[in-house]
Amino acid sequence: MFSKSQQCKKALRVSSVLIGFFCVSSLTLAGEGNFGWIYGLDLQPKGKAEIEQKLQLVRGQAAGTYDYWQGRTELEYGLTNDIQIAGYLNSYSINSAKNYTNPEACDQGVNPCTGGYGLPGSANTLDQYHAKGIDGISLESIWRISNPVTSPVGLGIYLEPTLGRLKDAFEGRIILQSNFLDDKLQLVSNIMFEVEKLKFDDDVIEETVFDILAGFTYRIAPKWTAGLEYRFHNDFDGYGFGNQTQRAHFLGPNLHYATKNWWLTLAMRSQIGGQCWEPGTAECSDGKVWDSHGNNEYIVKVGVPF
Amino acid sequence: MVWKPSSLLAGISILGMTVSGQIVARTYVSTEEVKQIIFPGELLTHYPIKISKEIAVEMKKQSSVSHALDPDKIWKTAHGAWLVIDEVVGKHEMIKYALGINQRGQIVGLEIMEYNESYGYEVMEKKWRGQFLNKTSKDQIKLNHDIENITGATLSSKHVTDGVKRIMVLYQTTLVAVR
Repeated sequence: MFSKSQQCKKALRVSSVLIGFFCVSSLTLAGEGNFGWIYGLDLQPKGKAEIEQKLQLVRGQAAGTYDYWQGRTELEYGLTNDIQIAGYLNSYSINSAKNYTNPEACDQGVNPCTGGYGLPGSANTLDQYHAKGIDGISLESIWRISNPVTSPVGLGIYLEPTLGRLKDAFEGRIILQSNFLDDKLQLVSNIMFEVEKLKFDDDVIEETVFDILAGFTYRIAPKWTAGLEYRFHNDFDGYGFGNQTQRAHFLGPNLHYATKNWWLTLAMRSQIGGQCWEPGTAECSDGKVWDSHGNNEYIVKVGVPF
Repeated sequence: MVWKPSSLLAGISILGMTVSGQIVARTYVSTEEVKQIIFPGELLTHYPIKISKEIAVEMKKQSSVSHALDPDKIWKTAHGAWLVIDEVVGKHEMIKYALGINQRGQIVGLEIMEYNESYGYEVMEKKWRGQFLNKTSKDQIKLNHDIENITGATLSSKHVTDGVKRIMVLYQTTLVAVR
């Protein structure tokens, strides 16, 4: 039997080798995401595939240290020219130390205390908490109902079920995209719903997420695009929208480079501010929402079509 | 401790990207070659023109192409035919192409001179380019109307189609009057 750490290292080696393998293969086709977190309607053509590696870091909470790394290795395939399917292998690493200052969260005599997404309640009084491993898998499908290259507004439906060690979830998005200036300027918005079952604490937590993401990218030079993306995030207790527990705003830039053989996207976003309501008030302090969020979030994505 | 992918394996990946080595812009057809392909044996005279603001607005209105046409890349035959070299936006880089128009205003040749995209190479195929032959400025020249789309390469086929339309508007508004 492998330990969690061994399993994680093994999966990372496999994904790195796969990326390397596909890079040295004869590569002819590509499709890509030029935003960090927003999904557009550029899909794989029928019968074509792409391997994608995403690495995201949520860094910094009220105090101390909070680093939440997420690795996602994805294989995309064009089922038709307007339907893309994908599978993900998800991994994670959490490093948390005395990062909460809210007295409601630090109610066991230690302040600052140790908390955040991915930590069990028993970690509250620890000086430091580490966890890493394979989180689980996700499946994805995107159906492009109208193409923004030929229609004033492109429309797509996105579905993603996830089974994981930290959470099970089902996510849906409505993708809207309009292109301008010979398709060099792309305005994209995602309306996102997600139901989650959080499993890292002793008590399972059920919640619902409603986000609106919006942004633009512009072709600043051949192969290069740059833009800005915004996230309006909302959490609700239980399954439904009756009891809101969190709201937060994020904003940040993206930069994308693409050739016909591979592409790379870098993006970051900062939390502008947020607030919490019962029963989630322990997750807020200093006018920001912590939980799975941080002061700053970073993402790097590499895609290699084959 | 922060989790990082193995630096050795990441290095292999980067090496792979370098070894795959197709990240080079290619010129498929030169200007001199395209002259001989579209108008074999004919003498072409360089004929740069000035495009007025009004005509530029009309070209954009009818074609929807924003990227400016270079008025210096125009040639004329002794019989009143025209060769225009233009470029339109591709997914990552510009798509360079040449359009030949005979003295009756009909398209007699469309050649893709540079194409460096991941997919959509079908725009270079003779069958797809053949749809434009014999069309005039009176034709619609619009994707999914009188020009078939290449599924999976919609952006390239739309932009080339729009580019051809723009040149035909230039022909109708300016070149046709040149003796």
